[in-house]
Amino acid sequence: MVSKTEEAQVNRLENQVDNGGGGAWEYLCLVRKLKLRRSDKVLKHGLSILNDPSKRSSLGHEEWTLYEQVAIAAMDCQCLDVAKGCINVLQKKFPGSKRVGRLEAMLLEAKGSWAEAGKAYSSLLEDNALDQVIHKRRAAMEKAQGNLSGAIECLNKYLEIFMADHDAWRELAEIYVSLQMYKQAAFCYEELILSQPTNPLCHLAYADLSPKRSPLRACEAAGCHCSCSNMEPDGNKKDSAP
Amino acid sequence: MGGELRYEIGQNAYIKLVLHALKHKTAAVNGVLLGRLSGGDAVEIADAVPSFHSHLGLLPSPRDRPSSEEYYGAQGMYIVGYFHANERFNDFELSNVARNIGDHVHRYFPQAALILVETGSFTKGEGQEPVMQLYTKDSSKSWKLVGSDGGSRFSTKEPSANVVLWDYISTQKWQDVVDFDDHLDDISKDWLNPELFK
Repeated sequence: MVSKTEEAQVNRLENQVDNGGGGAWEYLCLVRKLKLRRSDKVLKHGLSILNDPSKRSSLGHEEWTLYEQVAIAAMDCQCLDVAKGCINVLQKKFPGSKRVGRLEAMLLEAKGSWAEAGKAYSSLLEDNALDQVIHKRRAAMEKAQGNLSGAIECLNKYLEIFMADHDAWRELAEIYVSLQMYKQAAFCYEELILSQPTNPLCHLAYADLSPKRSPLRACEAAGCHCSCSNMEPDGNKKDSAP
Repeated sequence: MGGELRYEIGQNAYIKLVLHALKHKTAAVNGVLLGRLSGGDAVEIADAVPSFHSHLGLLPSPRDRPSSEEYYGAQGMYIVGYFHANERFNDFELSNVARNIGDHVHRYFPQAALILVETGSFTKGEGQEPVMQLYTKDSSKSWKLVGSDGGSRFSTKEPSANVVLWDYISTQKWQDVVDFDDHLDDISKDWLNPELFK
């Protein structure tokens, strides 16, 4: 979850880059660090750097990270030719790499070739059974095909091993909410609150959930909303009144 | 109860709700439809208020949300329906969340329209069919798709609505749509979108 200050910083940089004020590389790094999904902007500004030989060479070894970021953004925007181009460049530079293999499997996923993508992920997992990204991609594939119960199963298995992954807990909570399985969603938000007690957004979501589970839980909701109001939007506790 | 009623959606409402869905491509979105009964045999959907793009399953009932009654009531309009766009572009199934909220609206307006936006099937401003499905609740108390028997009970008021919509899409006008969720994050943003079509 991104705090208000971080979001404001990203938006400011995005405006600056969109209006030709430079700072594209800083923007791309920040989006990558905060794991934001702004694929159309990443694609546009990433390609502007990669297609300019002088800008590309000034990146040094970060060039390959950018190719990977742009490939993923291109897949998200369904520009599969661009994605294929970036993956080819990475394949030439890092032949036999598992990380590039993962991108190839993601490209199969983007094309909708679910069975082939599934096989590719399984074979990658044989070499490294603890690759978190691949486990999560399998859950994402189930969700993309509309198989929410399959996605729930994948995420539950994943969280038994990687129980500190906040993003996975949040995704699982949202899937449960969409299926109106509020008790299970509450469990997920409780895990999130335990690990991130100063994050107001977890408290808010839990508070919104309480009345749905039972009208008697309205008091619980009020309590959560109060504890949330004691927090700054960026997760720090407010100073108490003098 | 919406038996042979026609449903006509005005261009502004039509474009606003498609743009809302396009702004949040990776999420489900919803909103309220406003309008009035017209001539005894048609429901005119004159405007749409985009509401939320996150945690749709956790929303309070429509009665507890601002219903914009004062603003639209003065223009003789009231809530005539609900629109919903699913998270996945090729998912055309009416979810339980949409049905529940539709049921709430139906309690106050029996001819309520439930619209499911089909952004996945829109191509370049061709055709005059609205790029959405309309459901109404008939006497069997379940939401039925209108027009599946080949009738033309659902149409846009202006025949060129799809052409205008395509214009807005190609200029990325969806970035200017503000919904109630955005307003809650920043109260200076106006969820009535008064400047959108100026």
